[in-house]
Amino acid sequence: MSGPILRHFLPTNMEPVEEDEQFGLDSDEEKSDLSDNELQEAFAKGLLKPGMNFMVSAPKKFVNNVAGLKQCLADFRKSLPWVERLDRTNLPVEDIITKAEGKVPTPNNGDVNADDDFQREMFFYRQAQATVLDALPLLNKHGISTKRPDDYFAEMAKSDQHMQKIRKKLISKQMILEKSEKAKKLREQRKFGKKVQIEVLQKRQKEKKAMMTAVKKYQKGMSDKLDFLEGDKKTPGKASQALKKGGNKKGPLNNKRKYKDQKFGFGGKKSGQKWNTKDSFNDVSSFKARVAHAKGGKGGKKGKGGKQNKRPGKSVRKKMKGRS
Amino acid sequence: MAAFKRKRGGQGPVDKKSKKVKFVADETEAPSENEPEKKNEVTVPAPVSAGKWTNKERVLIFSSRGINFRTRHLMQDLRTMMPHAKADTKMDRKDKLFVINEVCEMKNCNKCLFFEAKKKQDLYMWIANTPHGPSAKFLVQNIHTLAELKMTGNCLKGSRPLLSFDPKFDKDPHFAVLKELFIQTFSTPRYHPKSQPFVDHVFTFTIADKRIWFRNYQIIEEDGSLVEIGPRFVLNLIKLFQGSFGGPTLYENPDFKSPNMHRREIRLAAAAKVRERQMVKELHKIKKSEAKEDLDKDVTADVFVTPAEEKPVHIETEPPQFKEKKKKLCGFKRQRMARR
Repeated sequence: MSGPILRHFLPTNMEPVEEDEQFGLDSDEEKSDLSDNELQEAFAKGLLKPGMNFMVSAPKKFVNNVAGLKQCLADFRKSLPWVERLDRTNLPVEDIITKAEGKVPTPNNGDVNADDDFQREMFFYRQAQATVLDALPLLNKHGISTKRPDDYFAEMAKSDQHMQKIRKKLISKQMILEKSEKAKKLREQRKFGKKVQIEVLQKRQKEKKAMMTAVKKYQKGMSDKLDFLEGDKKTPGKASQALKKGGNKKGPLNNKRKYKDQKFGFGGKKSGQKWNTKDSFNDVSSFKARVAHAKGGKGGKKGKGGKQNKRPGKSVRKKMKGRS
Repeated sequence: MAAFKRKRGGQGPVDKKSKKVKFVADETEAPSENEPEKKNEVTVPAPVSAGKWTNKERVLIFSSRGINFRTRHLMQDLRTMMPHAKADTKMDRKDKLFVINEVCEMKNCNKCLFFEAKKKQDLYMWIANTPHGPSAKFLVQNIHTLAELKMTGNCLKGSRPLLSFDPKFDKDPHFAVLKELFIQTFSTPRYHPKSQPFVDHVFTFTIADKRIWFRNYQIIEEDGSLVEIGPRFVLNLIKLFQGSFGGPTLYENPDFKSPNMHRREIRLAAAAKVRERQMVKELHKIKKSEAKEDLDKDVTADVFVTPAEEKPVHIETEPPQFKEKKKKLCGFKRQRMARR
């Protein structure tokens, strides 16, 4: 509203306008107002400093008529009993949640960060709560209740239809949440189930192999006990014995091993990986039953004519074709 | 409305001890408290009787032309919330503002909430105490109406509100005037014929970020659990006048920036960015098109030339002596190094 303000120091009686620190004026239009003569005079008087002079607009003064405000308030204030006004002025209730979490509550209770939506809304909520808690005893004293009885039917601010819509929306939101939860759980379960299945299969194959070796041993006469027929009774005992035996594995130059483990973690044990340890020997995950039970493999093939896995030759296939 | 007219100042024909039934009304008929129905089935507090309504406060809520649906709904919501409010037709923008004073007088109202829409974008709200009192102009932002599905609370239509103010309202004189204005405008008079005797919602006015935030909560339980009903809006004070819709300015908000200026600033900032980018591009172009001098002599050629004294050439005629050393390694290298 107040445009650039000129400061004239000319002998003509123009009042100097306030707080313009920069003396002088610099604008082509302005020069036409003040002739060169006048500028020269002003410069001679020492009022115009050399250098760049530019226009500064005076900072706008904002009206704050405190006396007027107080007068106005006194004039139009109505002295009504509290029951008519039902107003309270209070700070919000203590924020229990941030206290419980151990966070420091906002430094000054009065100033809430308007950009943090959740905090701001909680601030308003707590302010309303404080009012309600304050005002309830007063209302009770005046005989005004806040609870309406169950059989009191009256028109509500929002129609029943609208409340139904709100309820439906809330329910649908909940349903969506539940569905997503269920889907996640199902996915997890499937992964877990697959793992369990693989483990069970491996275990079965291991047992089968153990059984077969025991049977073979008996057949070859290496052991004359029929313990393997009893099944699982012996295996836990044998397993515990094995564990006890293979517990300590101290070899020469264990310091080097220890140092390397310490330095590189167990990712550094790459050099000793391929030995036939007990674990690697007992690991039957790479067991292929079809290959193992091909009953002799190469030797048998040569003996029997090799028709089990092999595709018949061209002449034979021709014959077969002719037949069909 | 009531079928027969109430006599003012006299005892109504209502027996104070009578109990009445109120029906769920879909029409806007206010529950009339003066028809005596002698059904003793329900418990109802003593009805509002004639002659007790002394605080004759009436608010006129209306708007200018050019408002959009949200403003219209906001006005309707305010009329719903405040049973002591009256509606009026849209005012033509050509009329001066002090015409509103006459309109209010005709409708026998002593407060006014006037909504003015500019450019179909900005909404200004005037709140005034009509005959002589102060008035204030606000810029309204962030309007959410009753109809929003996220506001799940509900309250009786016409029940009296509790008003909750931030303590900051007591600190500055202009806020004190505003507080008084809000109290007189928004609080429903006791025993108003359209009011309900229960207090089941609370209006909050809070000052944050130099603006006034308005919220409306429903009181569910007596322990203070609340749900928001709506509407909600934010008021940014522009000016406070001594008279109603005019008069000398008592207070001007230094932090208020007109929405036009705000939009202009954004546009200028964007324009400045574009201009800067263009200038940089031009500079690049000029630099590239400038004639570059040909360098035939590399200035940095002799950076790594370090003069050193010449060693005499020594030709070895015999192979070097090979010494065998048997090393006993006690511990591995690291340990040896550490020991050393």
